[in-house]
Amino acid sequence: MTYSAEAFQNEFLALGATEVNAIVTVTSSGGTGGGGGRRTAGATEVIIVDASGSMQAEGRIAAARQAAKAAVACLDDGVHFALIAGVGTAQQLFPAPGELAVATVQTRAEATWAIDRLHAAGGTAMGAWLLLAAQLVAQRPGTIAHAIMLTDGDNGEREGYLQSVLDTIAGKFTVDCRGVGTNWKVSELRKIADAMLGTVDIVARPADLTVAFEQMMTTAMGKTAADVQLKVWTPVNATVRFVKQVEPQVADLTGKRVADGPRAARYPLGSWGAESRDYHLCVDVPPGAAGDEMLAARVSIVEGDTVHTQALVRAVWTDDAALSTRINRQVAHYTGQAELADTIQAGIEARKAGDDHTATIKFGRAAQLAHESGNQATSELLATVVEIEDAATGTVRLRRKVAAADEMALDTRSTKTVRVGRGQ
Amino acid sequence: MTDCAACADERTTGAAFCEVCGRSLMPEPGCPHCGTPGGVGEDGYCEHCGMLAGRERDHLETDCGATAAAVTDRGLRHHRNEDAMWLATRGDEIDVVVSDGVSSSFDPDVASLTAVQAAGELLPAGDVAEAIGAAQVAVAGLAAEGDPRRQASNPACTIVAAVIRGDAVTVGWIGDSRAYWVPEVGPAEQLTEDDSWATHVIALGADPEQAMRDPKAHAITAWLGADAGKIAPRTAEFIVGDPGHLVLCSDGLWNYLTDPAAFAAAVREGLREQGTLISAARWLADYANTAGGADNITVALIPVKPLVKG
Repeated sequence: MTYSAEAFQNEFLALGATEVNAIVTVTSSGGTGGGGGRRTAGATEVIIVDASGSMQAEGRIAAARQAAKAAVACLDDGVHFALIAGVGTAQQLFPAPGELAVATVQTRAEATWAIDRLHAAGGTAMGAWLLLAAQLVAQRPGTIAHAIMLTDGDNGEREGYLQSVLDTIAGKFTVDCRGVGTNWKVSELRKIADAMLGTVDIVARPADLTVAFEQMMTTAMGKTAADVQLKVWTPVNATVRFVKQVEPQVADLTGKRVADGPRAARYPLGSWGAESRDYHLCVDVPPGAAGDEMLAARVSIVEGDTVHTQALVRAVWTDDAALSTRINRQVAHYTGQAELADTIQAGIEARKAGDDHTATIKFGRAAQLAHESGNQATSELLATVVEIEDAATGTVRLRRKVAAADEMALDTRSTKTVRVGRGQ
Repeated sequence: MTDCAACADERTTGAAFCEVCGRSLMPEPGCPHCGTPGGVGEDGYCEHCGMLAGRERDHLETDCGATAAAVTDRGLRHHRNEDAMWLATRGDEIDVVVSDGVSSSFDPDVASLTAVQAAGELLPAGDVAEAIGAAQVAVAGLAAEGDPRRQASNPACTIVAAVIRGDAVTVGWIGDSRAYWVPEVGPAEQLTEDDSWATHVIALGADPEQAMRDPKAHAITAWLGADAGKIAPRTAEFIVGDPGHLVLCSDGLWNYLTDPAAFAAAVREGLREQGTLISAARWLADYANTAGGADNITVALIPVKPLVKG
């Protein structure tokens, strides 16, 4: 598996300036030998399906059964897997409690029969479900561990329990969360996805679950490295202001910092296949004199003790304003995309709080940012919540009636970004 | 006395290696910015303060004894040295090239280095214009290779080259790097004419002082690079009548010595006070740095005498 990292920045700073920004694009060929997608470690897959009583509505449980079967069918031979039925406790649906099955034609068929026994009756205990998944994947340390979690409602566990579970299992495996219907809380699933380096999305119609599960499984099966990390070295008296993934979606990694020797720290990037992601690094450094050149950060892609690739983020002080005022397109673009995600969140919160004035301003700014950056998908999601009169100036009107599913889709997908063209 | 840390043997001060265990006695170079000993990493940056500890091209010297000497220096305001030089001597044959990368282009330091090498390799044949033509081909070719940003802003540079064959001197140039003849008395004679905006408008009748103060004064009107079009290097030839020094330099030096009398006085002061050519060249680079060091500085000094007719 080969990785490359490239830093995009305007390294020139005006005299007295101390903030260094760079976009680091990390690309992996995936797999060994010509990017064929062969896993270098084993893979463990856990599928968690909410079987609470509410899943009986709108044919959700039947759709969930179909989706779980489709996901099982996507499992590569040799992948270790388990199915968990999510009720007031975590119940292992397949194989025997506490065990993992190895995917073969036979076990996939057995798992499919077990899924037919899935009935909706019980509560919602996400902390307990995730804890069982963590115990199962812990049997195979070092493998590419991934879970799908499907739910349709609020967590029924006591306040704070889910967070305490997340604190103990974070980094052990990745979790992609999907909410079916509109009775679940985006903030709750986002908390899980953020902690477990996964994704969150709405599947408004139960009929669409199968496609959603197949997509998640295909992506999961394409992962070839388990635990990739971004290592950031900074000079003395410098501080990392933030590290954010900015493409394919915004995810703030700043708080996931783990110190690694003097002046260096690691940030978890989760599992990787053949893919490319962009990261925005912002470092505060002591000011330099004209002509000084400083290494503001040395960014490496690491797996354990192996350093795959490295990119340098530099700072060069100059009194030439023509150099220091140059705008780097990558940095400007992703700064805008991050603001877009934040602005949509603020707009949704204001709208929920009944503050239509603030909501209008926020959604207006969001429409403007989405328009300027060519983020068509986000523009379309915004248009379901507001009427966009003039995207260029950010003139919008709140829609009187907004479908809950549309607002939740805007909420979950607001962090999706688009890539800037790479000319220049 | 220097103690070897590894074997406790004692050696004379200044010994580079311990004669018993072979270990280096020289302290690892410390960071010139924060002083952390041995702190400079493989990529040239200090592992402690992050400052660039120095690049090889920041300050280079070529010392050919009493025949010729050249110094190039980063200066004080630029973060790297985008000047390059070439100096070769074979008996009384001397080839010299100075090139100054155009800062607004991409990889100008690569352009200047490419130019002096391409020209320098052809100068032994004695045809300065042909050598500059070869430099143009080499520099223009850079745009199509390496970093794609070179295509948008192709590497570019100036060039001044000279061949000295006994008492015969030929210079050729493109851009605003200069060659001077500094006699033993009197003002320096500028052998080159800048391809610059200021020179152009002065030739058209503008007030020289006012023209040099214009922000556009140093904008060059000819250069080497993919966007240079068809270049026409200008050349000048002369036979030395009285002893003196041929001086090639980039604008990092002459910009602080625009008056030909002051230029000659500075060169002679450097030669008189320092005694050797190399220290005089270093003294001239220091002169520019003391005056502000706003640009990269390159200077080459070659003494030329009339041939004693038998």
